[in-house]
Amino acid sequence: MISIRKLEKIFDSARGPVRAVDGIDLEVAEGEFMVLLGPSGCGKTTTLRCVAGLERPDGGSIEIDGELVDSADGGTYVPPERRDIGMVFQSYAVWPHLNVFQNVVLPLTEGQRRIPRSEVRDRAREALRLVRLDGLEERPVTDLSGGQQQRVALARAVVTRPKVLLMDEPLSNLDARLRDQMRDELRRIAESVNVTSLYVTHDQAEALSLGDRVCVMNEGEILQLATPKEVYSEPPNLFVARFVGEMNFLPAKVVDAGRVESGLGAIECAVPSGCAPGAAVTLGIRPEHIGMAPGESAAGLRGQVLRQTYLGDALHCQVQVGEVELTVTAVGDAEYVRGETVTVSLPEKGWHVFPEGQ
Amino acid sequence: MRLPSLNGQVSPLLPVALAPMALVAVFILVIVWVSFQSGTLGTVHSNYTLENYHDVLGDSAIYGVIWNTLWFAFSTVFFALIIGLPIAWLTERTTIPGKPAIYVIMTLGLLIPGIFVAMGWTFIAHPRIGFINRWLVDLFALDDGPVNIATPLGMGFVQGMNLAPLAFILTTQMFRAMNPMLEEAARTAGMSAAATLRRVTLPLAGPAILAAVIYIFIVGIATFDIPAVIGLGNRVYLFSTYLFTLTFPEDMEPRYGITGAVGVLMIVVALALTAWYGRVLQKGNRYQVITGKGYRPKMLDLGGWNWAAWAMIAVYALISKFVPIALVGFIAFAPYVAPPSLEMWEQLSLNNFYNVNWELVWRGMKHTLILMFVVPLAVMVCAFAISWLVVRTRSRGRYALEFGAFLPHTVPELLFAIGALLVALFVLKDYVPLYGTVWLIALVYLVTRLPFATRALNGALLQIHKELEEAAYVSGLTMLRASRRVLLPLLRPTLMSVWIWTALLVYREVTVAVFLATESNITLTAVVWSYWAAAGMTEASVVTTLMILFFSPLLLLFWIFGRRSALAEE
Ligand SMILES: Nc1ncnc2c1ncn2[C@@H]1O[C@H](COP(=O)(O)OP(=O)(O)O)[C@@H](O)[C@H]1O
Ligand SMILES: [Mg+2]
Repeated sequence: MISIRKLEKIFDSARGPVRAVDGIDLEVAEGEFMVLLGPSGCGKTTTLRCVAGLERPDGGSIEIDGELVDSADGGTYVPPERRDIGMVFQSYAVWPHLNVFQNVVLPLTEGQRRIPRSEVRDRAREALRLVRLDGLEERPVTDLSGGQQQRVALARAVVTRPKVLLMDEPLSNLDARLRDQMRDELRRIAESVNVTSLYVTHDQAEALSLGDRVCVMNEGEILQLATPKEVYSEPPNLFVARFVGEMNFLPAKVVDAGRVESGLGAIECAVPSGCAPGAAVTLGIRPEHIGMAPGESAAGLRGQVLRQTYLGDALHCQVQVGEVELTVTAVGDAEYVRGETVTVSLPEKGWHVFPEGQ
Repeated sequence: MRLPSLNGQVSPLLPVALAPMALVAVFILVIVWVSFQSGTLGTVHSNYTLENYHDVLGDSAIYGVIWNTLWFAFSTVFFALIIGLPIAWLTERTTIPGKPAIYVIMTLGLLIPGIFVAMGWTFIAHPRIGFINRWLVDLFALDDGPVNIATPLGMGFVQGMNLAPLAFILTTQMFRAMNPMLEEAARTAGMSAAATLRRVTLPLAGPAILAAVIYIFIVGIATFDIPAVIGLGNRVYLFSTYLFTLTFPEDMEPRYGITGAVGVLMIVVALALTAWYGRVLQKGNRYQVITGKGYRPKMLDLGGWNWAAWAMIAVYALISKFVPIALVGFIAFAPYVAPPSLEMWEQLSLNNFYNVNWELVWRGMKHTLILMFVVPLAVMVCAFAISWLVVRTRSRGRYALEFGAFLPHTVPELLFAIGALLVALFVLKDYVPLYGTVWLIALVYLVTRLPFATRALNGALLQIHKELEEAAYVSGLTMLRASRRVLLPLLRPTLMSVWIWTALLVYREVTVAVFLATESNITLTAVVWSYWAAAGMTEASVVTTLMILFFSPLLLLFWIFGRRSALAEE
């Protein structure tokens, strides 16, 4: 539905040109929910704005629903109002001089995709019902809460029944509880109108829970394009591993194709083919893969609890094992005190090996 | 350099934004060009020469003029600040009651034209006809009146009174922006009140006060109306009035080359001061960054001093505006210029009203009304184009636009008037018959009113998040429809206030109107001036009185719609 090829966008800034987007290839299938995930400043918004037609690419091309809308070489450029899209902005951008109903109706009466007058009212009501704002039609939008304004923005974006829905960190201005609630609802709405979605966020939890696929970006490039499960379990490099979820990292040396030597001793794991014996690598392991039990035992390594962070549904402990400090997720109702001696058991699976210099 | 554009296309707004800039450039350049010309301008019988500069600098008159102008400008700054600054401090930092009333007084002060006040002061303190002098001469049997308003110092006093509201507005902003916590921090750090004032308050306030000084000085050196009304009759010349006599000499052919050369001197001075002003403003802005959000400054309780503060403000309002204007109103009904007395009171009549050429007044009124309608509209269209390009695009060209729109803020309108006159006379004469039309005046007003409108709109546009417009585009609205349905409704309050403020200033403008007025495009203020210059003081007073009467409903409109943002910007 959306196909982006070799997209480039360069901004002039006081410090010289900035390559905000640096050759991105991305295909979003019809009805798919695609999430662009990456740290602030990595070019997510710029990519999205190029798709919307709010920025003109400096290189590459974009197609929406088979129609070429941007081509830097061919000089094609379709302005935003003639693209079949809806967009939700980070700042909501609801029009403050109009009430809820007028905000939703304006695209239908004044836009390029306007519909017959007689259908406008029904269509707008349908969109408001979808976002559960029915009954608030006559309210000035400035009287609404942040969450409600966001719903107005969403209704306005889908009211024209666009093929593509673009969302730029739509939840980042909401407080935590509301964010979780809206996240589920976003997914429901996108599914019920069967729209192809491109969603930008810097929040990995949001990305993993929302996306059919997640596209991890950094410095204008794509690092990984995969399902949420793959992104979490098979990060292709250190950056993705650091950015998505928690992970322990420790330096290690390759012994052979199935073993490395680290501060925790020799560890059996799959070493990538590019790493010769003796090469320095970084070893990664997620906290929930490491086992921990109170007291000393021969079943594992001896450790000492340094700190713990209680998160409600889990307990994160910093444990000193020899020279290495590990974060471990303690399961069950286990409770530890600082300085307590514990047994840490290392898993056989779940190890990641990242070659040096990645 | 890329042109300001959205998505790489040249914006259709660009020509609209550039048109007034082109006017600014043309008006200035033509003065420079003329200053290097001799012979019959605009024909083959003219050639390039330095003769004009030679003549100007070789004539000792110019040095007297420079001396007078400096005296005048410095006394203007002195009186404006000594009145404006304390009143600003009182309204921003004390619990003085009736603050809205102070704002009313000061805003009115900004709007009442200097020419009216200057007429009043002539009646009060002219060496020969001034009432004070007449009384003193009678009382002490003197030969000459001891008080003389027709000196650079005297005129500077009148202009200083007149510009005190400007000083007030410029420095209120400073007091508002200056965080009193910084002063409190100094006090808690063990510094005495005096040390705090010397080491913290004054250094912080310094740039803002200096900026106000420079700005008022620039306005001062180019003031025309007050020196013209008070000084010309007494042959006391400042830069502006000297330029006027050069351009419109009574007994010989004008030598525009000389006008040009004096104009160029003034341009150089104005640009140098502008550059300095810009630097000082920048420094001031750096200090303002320190201001935190949402602080409430602690107000000083004046207690028993409240009445003294109000007495000072009342005396200021009385002598700066009320008494001079009341005298003009009195003279409008008096048979001849004489001090108010019981005897005179009985002779008041409507006779002067029959001596006024009503056809002329009606013509002036018509032109003034046309200008009040056309100029704000043009100003708003151009200012919108400039602001939109400056705020919403990211090409480096936008800095040039911003600078171009700021320039007329400090370059005196007098120069634009002379530039326009020369353009109409010698450049466009055969192609576009602009000379003697209101459109020529309108063009100059467009240029001079642009900086205020642009700054007001810049501020308003910055407040309107860019995404509100973009949301309209992605909703399928074309740029034109997005502007009409989203941007303009959101800008409406600002546009209203800019409209009314511009119209008011057009109504009261004198200098440009006098330089460009002919029989066929005379405005109301120029009618007043022409009576006054022809020694028709009573007739001038009649027209002035009428102008003030018409003014009141306009002021009311301004009060209802626009005062907030206009005050904040000027
Ligand atoms: N209008 C702009 N002008 C100059 N630089 C910009 C502009 N917009 C974005 N950038 C730069 O481009 C890079 C990517 O920005 P953006 O796409 O907004 O990142 P993200 O949305 O991932 O946080 C950043 O370095 C940013 O500073
Ligand atoms: Mg962003």
